[in-house]
Amino acid sequence: MSSVNIARALRAIKRSVWVYHLNSGSCNACDIEVLDALTPYFDVERFGIKLVGSPRHADVILFTGPVTRESLPKVVKTIKAMPRPRLILVLGSCGVGGGIWWDTYSTLGGFKKLEELLRDNGVEIDRVVYVPGCPVRPEAIIYGMLLLLGLVEQKSKKAEVIASES
Amino acid sequence: MSIAKILEIALRTGRVTRRYPYEPPLLTPEFRGAVKIDPSKCWGCGACVKVCPPNALTLKPAGKEVTLEYFVGRCIFCGMCAEVCPAGAIEVTKEFELSSASLDDLKSRVIHRLTRCSICGSPIWTEAELRTVVKSSPIAEEYTLVCPKCRREKLVKAAKLRLGAGSE
Amino acid sequence: MKNESVLSNTVKVLEGLGAVVEEVKDSEVYLRATRESVRAVAKALYSSGAYLRTCAGVDERELSGMLAVYYIFGLDEQGVDVVLRVLVPEGDPWSASIVPDVPAADWCELEVRDLLGIDFRGRLTKRLVLPEDWPDGVYPLRKEFKYDEKPSRVLREELPEEAGVPVGPYHPALHEPEYFELYVEGEKVVDIAYRGFHVHRGIEKLAESQRFTYKQVPFLAERICGICGFVHSSCYVMAVEKAAGIAVPERAEFIRSIVLEVERLHSHLLWLGVAAHLLGYDAGFMHAWRIREQVMVLAEYLTGSRKTYGINLIGGVRKDINTEKIDRVLKTITDLRKEFTELVKAMLAVPQIKSRASGTGVLTKAEARALSVVGPVARASGLYRDVRKDYPYLAYRRVSFKVPLYTEGDNLARLLVRVDEVFESIEIIKQLIDVLPDGSIMVEEYDIPPGRRAVAAIEAPRGEDVHFVITGVGRPYRWRVRAPTYQNIPALRAMLRGNPLADAPLTIASIDPCFSCTDRAIVLDVKSGRMGVIRLK
Repeated sequence: MSSVNIARALRAIKRSVWVYHLNSGSCNACDIEVLDALTPYFDVERFGIKLVGSPRHADVILFTGPVTRESLPKVVKTIKAMPRPRLILVLGSCGVGGGIWWDTYSTLGGFKKLEELLRDNGVEIDRVVYVPGCPVRPEAIIYGMLLLLGLVEQKSKKAEVIASES
Repeated sequence: MSIAKILEIALRTGRVTRRYPYEPPLLTPEFRGAVKIDPSKCWGCGACVKVCPPNALTLKPAGKEVTLEYFVGRCIFCGMCAEVCPAGAIEVTKEFELSSASLDDLKSRVIHRLTRCSICGSPIWTEAELRTVVKSSPIAEEYTLVCPKCRREKLVKAAKLRLGAGSE
Repeated sequence: MKNESVLSNTVKVLEGLGAVVEEVKDSEVYLRATRESVRAVAKALYSSGAYLRTCAGVDERELSGMLAVYYIFGLDEQGVDVVLRVLVPEGDPWSASIVPDVPAADWCELEVRDLLGIDFRGRLTKRLVLPEDWPDGVYPLRKEFKYDEKPSRVLREELPEEAGVPVGPYHPALHEPEYFELYVEGEKVVDIAYRGFHVHRGIEKLAESQRFTYKQVPFLAERICGICGFVHSSCYVMAVEKAAGIAVPERAEFIRSIVLEVERLHSHLLWLGVAAHLLGYDAGFMHAWRIREQVMVLAEYLTGSRKTYGINLIGGVRKDINTEKIDRVLKTITDLRKEFTELVKAMLAVPQIKSRASGTGVLTKAEARALSVVGPVARASGLYRDVRKDYPYLAYRRVSFKVPLYTEGDNLARLLVRVDEVFESIEIIKQLIDVLPDGSIMVEEYDIPPGRRAVAAIEAPRGEDVHFVITGVGRPYRWRVRAPTYQNIPALRAMLRGNPLADAPLTIASIDPCFSCTDRAIVLDVKSGRMGVIRLK
């Protein structure tokens, strides 16, 4: 059921994505780069991307931050308010892997942990794309967004090599 | 008129947009992107693991092997691992197009086989480290296949024999 | 020290009130006061012209057997820090609060209460830094608490909804989660309540843990804030170098100063764009950030990364500057100066900008002095305070520059202070490049003995950033960060009261809030859970 929704949604929004920016306790470097992507040098409005003021209007949520304990209930409420299909672009080392403070008493440890918590509470996430960076370059954000929309191929591949003399 | 001033600036500046991804990105030669570990040079010593602030590089032992895992999702792109690597196996690239739909694709592993002590069988060091040590200093092969604990016991035994304590 | 006799007179007065001199260093004087007499001593110090920089709670049971509260005052005119230490026994943890005489200590005392469990008598207390669901009696900064322990949540009663206008935590105008409640009567704001600390990540506790050593903390410090990160990392290494007595090569100091000024340029341009956007002038936002982009590219060329530069290490820097880089710096700032002058002229010619910014959000000089505000907020209200002049550090002794001062205290004054600072920064960078000395960029070797204390401060784009370090074995024993916005947010109440609601976003933005600096870490337990926070969304 949900895969049909996603394909249809992506076809509909491909040329005009409305994004909502959600900061769950990051240092703001990624958030400033998100804003930088709107400015003349990178200009994401060429892709039809626009920032909206409410998660209820959002097609994609730009997620930054390692999910601090204080912001957790508010983040959950915000994601709950987003209509299906929920497409999330996780930005930065804090969101992807918990960041440099991934195991302190005050953080949850990144988006993966949040996704599990949301699923236990009945909130489904339909598609997630992770964008590493510290902070993420505006170009990396654009690449990540194009990957989410299915317009480019993924370059990162899991690699496992045995150390040998060659 | 105030509008005229800003319009004049805009018209004079023209278009500054770099139409990424159809045009090259705004990179400088100094940019630090993801790192690449050369599996043929890596010793598995763990110097990079010790210095990595967010623990993006981890050394996981598992039986006969120890795995160096690089999780680019938690990497902060500081380049300290490349600076401290004694084997020169880590190179800082300019790669920033790292997005992925799954966390697994962001992990790259170098698997080291461990040599085992010929006496007690416990793991000592990686084969790569062994190769490097043997190449750079003349050590008798039998020493390299004995763990420090057994080596100490062997030494004590030999010393006792030498000092005439008899074979015990 | 500029005026020895004034300083020794002050110390004599404090000794007369019961303080005991513990240690006298180059630019720091350490005194000890009892928990009963600390209020009188602090009052005398404050009325002699000192500003409260911050206060830090330390679990000193391993060093002196007790808990401690350090009040750090700064005598700007002498360029000397006066640190008052109050020892508090663990079994009976209370101390007299100095807030009735020094209102600037309000937040930092609450933080000590939340994180260490020391009660302050003589004032109202509430939970400040720890989240609402944190259990009572668990104090993260105490040494027995492990940095990665996660206590279970304690659900408290839902607070009744107030009839206020929520702004935050997620609001299109703000980039960071914070929560202001504006109580309104018609169109006028009558009071505000603030609930911040959504960005509390446990950084100070993390630096004390086994995961970190001295060498790795600069990378942690840099990520306290994504806009002024280099300030935090430089301040930390300066504090450790001061405590351990490490002499940093001059060239490294110059490189640090150049990168600090480059950061100031990018931060002020960022602020100008955001202020224009909040006033509805989006063209100004786009042009300001277009100009700023070249500064980001320059920073990447100098240090290797657009932000979170990562070049600071204890004892020096990692990357050197060659002639190519110097030429690039000069070219960028020359172009920047030309474009910035035009942009400011164009922006101030827009009648709405001038009329909306002038006369709104006024902070009088007396209020500014009582709350010890810092940075452009202080300089716009007539207080001549700049760490680069009062406590010269790094290479700022070798350059000459003006400190802009305005007296109106309204939003326009704060805007003009920042505009002037951009021009001054360009001049400073030019001078630094002119007299850049040769030499190495890193000390050969160094040693950090445990048990030493030091205070270091840097003028961040937002104001004075203070770091206090007690060295331990292999890693800091205690590291306290007081970011500039921490000191400035309490001033918002004075600025917003009595003003129309429509001016609130601009006023909040005019102190250039950086909430991630403010919340960096430390959790404090609050027993009552009484909060009047507002939600933005």
